[in-house]
Amino acid sequence: MTLLDFARGPALQWSLIILVFGVMWRIIGALLIMAKKDLSKPRRKTMLRDGLKTIATRSLPEHQFEKRIRFQHLSGYAWHIALFISVLFFAPHIMFFESVLGFGWPHLPNPVILGTAAVSLAILLALLIRRASHPVQRLISNVDDYISILVVIVPLITGILAFAHVGARYETLLAIHLLSVEALFVWFPFGKLMHTALTFPSRFDAGASFGRKGVKA
Amino acid sequence: MNADNTAFRIFRESLERLGRDLPADDLSDDERVRRAKNTFLDKLDSHMAVDLETCIHCGMCAEACHYYEATEDEKYSPVYKFEPLRRFYRRELSPMRWLFRPFTKDVTADDLETWQELVYEGCTGCGRCDMMCPMGINISTLINVMREGIASAGLVPAELRALQIEQREKNTVFGVGAVELKELVEKIRQQGTEIRLDREQAEVLLLTTAAEVLLFPDALAASAKILNRVGADWTLLSKGFEAANVGLVSGDESTQKAATTRIAEQAKACGAATVILPESGHAYQAMRWEGANEVGEKLPFEVLAISEFIAREVSSGGLKLKTGANGSAVTYHDPCRLGRHGGVISEPRALLKELGLDFREADSNGRENYCCGGGCGEYVIKRSAPLRQKAFEIKKREFDETGADAVITSCANCRINLMIGAQNAGWQKPVESLVETVAARLAD
Repeated sequence: MTLLDFARGPALQWSLIILVFGVMWRIIGALLIMAKKDLSKPRRKTMLRDGLKTIATRSLPEHQFEKRIRFQHLSGYAWHIALFISVLFFAPHIMFFESVLGFGWPHLPNPVILGTAAVSLAILLALLIRRASHPVQRLISNVDDYISILVVIVPLITGILAFAHVGARYETLLAIHLLSVEALFVWFPFGKLMHTALTFPSRFDAGASFGRKGVKA
Repeated sequence: MNADNTAFRIFRESLERLGRDLPADDLSDDERVRRAKNTFLDKLDSHMAVDLETCIHCGMCAEACHYYEATEDEKYSPVYKFEPLRRFYRRELSPMRWLFRPFTKDVTADDLETWQELVYEGCTGCGRCDMMCPMGINISTLINVMREGIASAGLVPAELRALQIEQREKNTVFGVGAVELKELVEKIRQQGTEIRLDREQAEVLLLTTAAEVLLFPDALAASAKILNRVGADWTLLSKGFEAANVGLVSGDESTQKAATTRIAEQAKACGAATVILPESGHAYQAMRWEGANEVGEKLPFEVLAISEFIAREVSSGGLKLKTGANGSAVTYHDPCRLGRHGGVISEPRALLKELGLDFREADSNGRENYCCGGGCGEYVIKRSAPLRQKAFEIKKREFDETGADAVITSCANCRINLMIGAQNAGWQKPVESLVETVAARLAD
């Protein structure tokens, strides 16, 4: 079995199993902890609507907050969007998704994908430096924060190298790229990348709990 | 009308002596840790678990905190203020605890002592960070659990502990009991306002606070005047008038529960359908939002803040106000536990606009309002005075930017803290009461 066969076969299967079961374990485990019923009389009974609304509205901070978090806010959006474009609209990625899902979609030109991957990588490196140097982020950061950035950065780097055919044979570069993505899958349930799934119940909770008091969250 | 200067000076002097002779709680380090952990375990629920699992350590919450903004000291980052609780969760409750435990430091007695300063002096539980968090984490709830854990470890700051012990053992706050209330009631009656004291049955039970009795008697008189004007069947009980809940602000739940239960039982005994809370943010939170949970059943009466009650009466036509503008420009300070945590945001504004005052919003208002800087009992803690003063500068800047001549608020504690800040800074604008402002403009 070649390295590429391993990356495409057992490594991919096991990393996906760990990803799916790990995510379910962590979400269900957190939700199973008991919560006492709130006996206070709600000001309004629109908790479902309030919760769903906050899932959307919390994406755009109020201007009183925005003026103090502009860099983090905009850079966060920029790298996420650039990453998703690179993942979802690169022709070889779409071929892979098509082989799994049975359908595909139009791709973007390679230079565009290279650009978005480079933008995402550059911002992530800047955020990594900021995390290590900004007093607040340095104080509150732990190993998870650094690993979670690295497991996103490495697939971007290996992807760009594979795309450019730089440093080794294409098959080897592709295998390394696949393995780096699988490392991300394996780390996902254990670290803060879980926010991808947990943001929704967390924001919903905020919207519902403030909403029952009549406060827009 | 502002507070009497002499009374305010005496009150400030009494704060200097508060808790001075109180012996420290003599617990071993192991016992402190055991108690704190038990409290963490008891309080953590699925909502908090999701919040703790979701935090991405972005640190944006720091930018919402008035203490971080005032000092730029990273230790005031809200996420850092519940760090021991996060570690406890990862070791003991997280679904991944089997993996996290060996890599996560246990909570120690040193941690509890270090975090005592952060959760009592470096946080007023204002919840502004709750509104900032991009993940929607209820950060102030987690910090409050930290406060309760540290309280159970016997580490409540001496000033707050003195007040908490006083309320638990004597049912008084700042030494104000039935005798002091009755003296004030007589004075108010002599000034021409009837106070319906100690009626056995009434539809409305009005509460007041030691702060009103000592410093802001006009607020109590104003509430009485409005209740009389609308023809309410109301009473104030000398054996149980205190709405302040030192248990809530100190983190001592047994005191909180006792104070809440006392009010609920008295309201039931006199057949009250409505309990009206005075101008106090934390008292509103304690009774309106936490009261039923502390008592253990749904409350058989409605709980209203005095500003809510007045706004409702004005809206229904039961209370007429003089609506002619008198030229003075005012701004409103939202008490955190009445506004952001309580939902009473539109009512004070509706009243100020109804009065025809030149109402001007601060840039941060309503759900984004900055804390007065001394909420959740912090204004009594001597060691935090320099920090509070720095935070006051934010409020001063926001008030000044409105161009208003006066600040109006609806919380005695916010008022005290803002007045202390103003006095220290030599800032001349008055900090006035909403209920007094309304009562002074009742239509004939």
